[in-house]
Amino acid sequence: MSIITKDISIQNEVLTLTNQRALFWGLQKTLVISDLHIGKTAHFRKAGIPIPSAILDNDLKKLQGLINYFQPEIVLVVGDLFHAEQNTDSDQFRDFIEANQNINFELIKGNHDRLKNSFYESLGISVYKTHKDVAAFRFVHDEQHCGKDIFCISGHTHPGVLIRGRGKVSIKLPCYELSEHRLILPAFSEFTGLNTKRTVASAICYGFTEKSVFEI
Amino acid sequence: MKNVQDSQGYQIVSDWMEKKGQNPFDFQLQTWNQYHNGYSGMVVAPTGFGKTFSVFLAVVIDYLNQPEAYKKGMKLLWISPLRSLAKDLAKAMTIAVEEIGLDWQVEVRNGDTPQKDRRRQERLMPDVLLTTPETLHILFSQKNNSRFFKNLHCVAVDEWHELLGSKRGVLTELAISRLLSLSKSMKIFGITATIGNLDEAQKVLIPYKNIKTKRIVAKEKKKIDIITVLPDEIEVLPWAGHMGVKMTSKIIPIIYENNTTLIFTNTRNQSEIWYQQILKIEPDLAGQIAIHHGSIDAQLRNWIENAISDGHLKAVVCTSSLDLGVDFKPVDCVIQIGSPKGIARFMQRAGRSGHSPYETSKIYFVPTHSLELIEAAALKQAVKDKRIEAREPMVLTFDVLIQYMVSLAVGEGFNEKNLFEAVQKVHAFHYMTEDDWSWALHFITEGGNTLKSYEEYHKVILATDGLYKVKSRRIAMLHRMNIGAIVSDAMLKVKFFSGGYIGMVEEYFISKLKPNDHFILAGRVLEIVTIKDMTVLVKRSKRKSAITPSWMGGRLPLSSYLSHYLREKLAESLHPKTAEKELKFLHPLISQQEKNSHIPGKDEFLIEMIETKDGHHVFMYPFEGRLIHEVMAALIAYRLSLIKPLTFTIAMNDYGFELLSDQAIPIDEETITDILSKENLMEDVIGSINASEMASRKFRDIAVISGLVVQSQPGTRKNNKSLQSSSGLIFRVLEDYEPQNLLLRQAYTEVFNEQLEEVRLKDAFERISKSKLILKFAKSFTPLSFPIKVDSLRQSLTSEDLDARIKRIRDEVLKQT
Repeated sequence: MSIITKDISIQNEVLTLTNQRALFWGLQKTLVISDLHIGKTAHFRKAGIPIPSAILDNDLKKLQGLINYFQPEIVLVVGDLFHAEQNTDSDQFRDFIEANQNINFELIKGNHDRLKNSFYESLGISVYKTHKDVAAFRFVHDEQHCGKDIFCISGHTHPGVLIRGRGKVSIKLPCYELSEHRLILPAFSEFTGLNTKRTVASAICYGFTEKSVFEI
Repeated sequence: MKNVQDSQGYQIVSDWMEKKGQNPFDFQLQTWNQYHNGYSGMVVAPTGFGKTFSVFLAVVIDYLNQPEAYKKGMKLLWISPLRSLAKDLAKAMTIAVEEIGLDWQVEVRNGDTPQKDRRRQERLMPDVLLTTPETLHILFSQKNNSRFFKNLHCVAVDEWHELLGSKRGVLTELAISRLLSLSKSMKIFGITATIGNLDEAQKVLIPYKNIKTKRIVAKEKKKIDIITVLPDEIEVLPWAGHMGVKMTSKIIPIIYENNTTLIFTNTRNQSEIWYQQILKIEPDLAGQIAIHHGSIDAQLRNWIENAISDGHLKAVVCTSSLDLGVDFKPVDCVIQIGSPKGIARFMQRAGRSGHSPYETSKIYFVPTHSLELIEAAALKQAVKDKRIEAREPMVLTFDVLIQYMVSLAVGEGFNEKNLFEAVQKVHAFHYMTEDDWSWALHFITEGGNTLKSYEEYHKVILATDGLYKVKSRRIAMLHRMNIGAIVSDAMLKVKFFSGGYIGMVEEYFISKLKPNDHFILAGRVLEIVTIKDMTVLVKRSKRKSAITPSWMGGRLPLSSYLSHYLREKLAESLHPKTAEKELKFLHPLISQQEKNSHIPGKDEFLIEMIETKDGHHVFMYPFEGRLIHEVMAALIAYRLSLIKPLTFTIAMNDYGFELLSDQAIPIDEETITDILSKENLMEDVIGSINASEMASRKFRDIAVISGLVVQSQPGTRKNNKSLQSSSGLIFRVLEDYEPQNLLLRQAYTEVFNEQLEEVRLKDAFERISKSKLILKFAKSFTPLSFPIKVDSLRQSLTSEDLDARIKRIRDEVLKQT
């Protein structure tokens, strides 16, 4: 895994975008990710749709790589940590947390996070019901808890961007969507779709590939 | 051989026919005789000559001869591709059994059958059951279903030519295989219209060596009158791009001259436009004409079909939605707008008029651009030569196999060894290996990955009695909802705010609209009120015009048989025979083409190089249809880019394709042979296309059929949201994590067979390599190149701009000549 970074400045703070679907806020030693959807592949398998379990292995490997690289104190998940019910995938995640005991895991609850609070507590995850404010930023899952005069960092929409080439060639990439008051993170899990509709028409997108992070 | 005419049953049936003033046709008698002698087979007859009664009465006669051989319950199972067909067939059969004096029950079972009727049927099946392949598979997924079929004497597959060549055909093949395992001495009959590969069609339906088969071909032939509607004048450049609506005024008198006219268009979008246009020119027809296509609500369609039957309508603008189906007695005229793309389809549509035996079918061909007049001549020749396309059966469709295996597991469960042996006898899976089979079994029991089984995946499990079964009720329910092989695009229902459904539109189309926007559906201008629960709520609008939805998959490819005739007629067009008034009419255009460029002869291949202020154009004319041209254009662009790095825009129609570049294109007498070479063909094709992207598109249907994607039903609230994922996402995930997945492999195979049409592509290059290459330089667009140019303009511009722009190009060209 090669981590490529791009620093952007928002509200006089430096935020580091990576090509691994995660944001690092150096000053606060916080790694911010969104939409892990742990348990989604197992949820599908339970319903008789065989989605490979290696997807979660890979997502967690990627997260471990980011932790090793940035050495954060906090991993903040802005919603949709778990996709549905508790299943075998959640056990795998428990092992992951135990292997990273020096890190505080925090969660802003998303629309998919419907498990009991006691479950999160048993994993050692601090839960915020709607939002968490840190310095000039408010971390939320989706739009409804964004304030009017505070810059909002969220997930939920799984932003993607369509790049059209000549003729009929086009490719779709995950991206960070930045507008005047809001930064939306790409979904961390690979088993998520991409939404190319912009929430704010004037938004700028930062797309990324294996080798680069770039503005579109 | 025993003669059926000596039997008592025959006597009763022929007495009954005589009372009605009818005599059996020869082929009916033959069918009865064969059935009497224990044969299965296939009946080939044109519509309107009583195909139904050939097989149906054969069973009736046999029953009358030996009622003791028949037990209670289902005796004859009738599979037909169309729901609407079943209702009328059942009515005709019921009348027949009543008049003959049998106490048989004839009933229909399909998606529209009410719950209480189904439960009653499940208690005691009717003597004759009419159904669709999908409903039959749903029956297989019920508990204790084998008792329904164990007394079956005959299964009849109606309109087999329609099912053959599609995955529904494979569903039918598998269904017959299961029925045979339940009722070993059952007879199998196919009923089909004439197609190019009758031998194969019969082998696909009845691949079993121990079953005696014969084919019965009716001598009766349908007479077809083909009349080409000529425009008032021929223009020097073809007026493509106008959808031919200028011709509307020509068809009004035809509508008035006849009782009821069916007007066939090729796309739903086109049918909406023509409907509007006819009403605009002839407002008096309001209330007497209707519009019918697949995206119009079923109830509305039923109403229209009844109105046609009752003779209340002067004309109906329709699409392939009326290709098949019930005989409409009042229809005495058919109009085909634009190219029908295939000979079989053209004849089928013609046959919708003059339905009773010995009546002549009358079809008017309305070209939508001048060059289609060549097609008119080609069609006439092809019909005269009776050259009808073959329907290629599909093979190794693992998605359908997996669906079938799970259906059986949901139903009574299956024994692995027995099922493998039975499936291998089915034509579609004749070449399935044991490895393929164990992969499929693994897929439904352990998930895909062969190295690691998923502990929470219990779709199908091996029960203690040695049978593979589905135990989870949720999985069983999800599966039953998903049975079938027709995959529609994500559709939304369109409903009046005040109540009443109008039809369906694609999610893709509606996603571009907002509340208060207007669009046309079923000939009405509608205003969007709101969108919720997969339903678009609308109200009537007073506006006269609005955008017309385009439905995906509207464009049919040109059949290879028809393209052969097209090339032939074009080659002859310089010196038309006196009877060919289409070609004579076209003469000014043809001579213009010959003067400025060339008319390719039978053994020639034309390449035109044209330079305009847009850039450098190359046009080539293989006449192989749009799909093949798309592939060829990408291939040529790829080969050119090896000589010189260039970027191209590509445009095509059914006749040829265009490459446009802002720089000079390195084509000359020397390079052209290499560029059109048949060497390294498939390697270069793979290098030139995005195969993975194409396969991903093909994977959509496969994912739905094999149950990897849970479809949400239009108009319903319950959509299993937490199980929603796109087939594209699953395709990507499987490519990364499980490249050996057979369903992925199938997607690539389908791309090669259907999209790239490998065989046809190779044939085309073979032909080109034997042809004389004619390279011409022209100063402006030629009659052949112009329609391609216009088609490419249309993709990027709105219609008003387009008209203006076409006019400008034409004026420029006319100034020069």
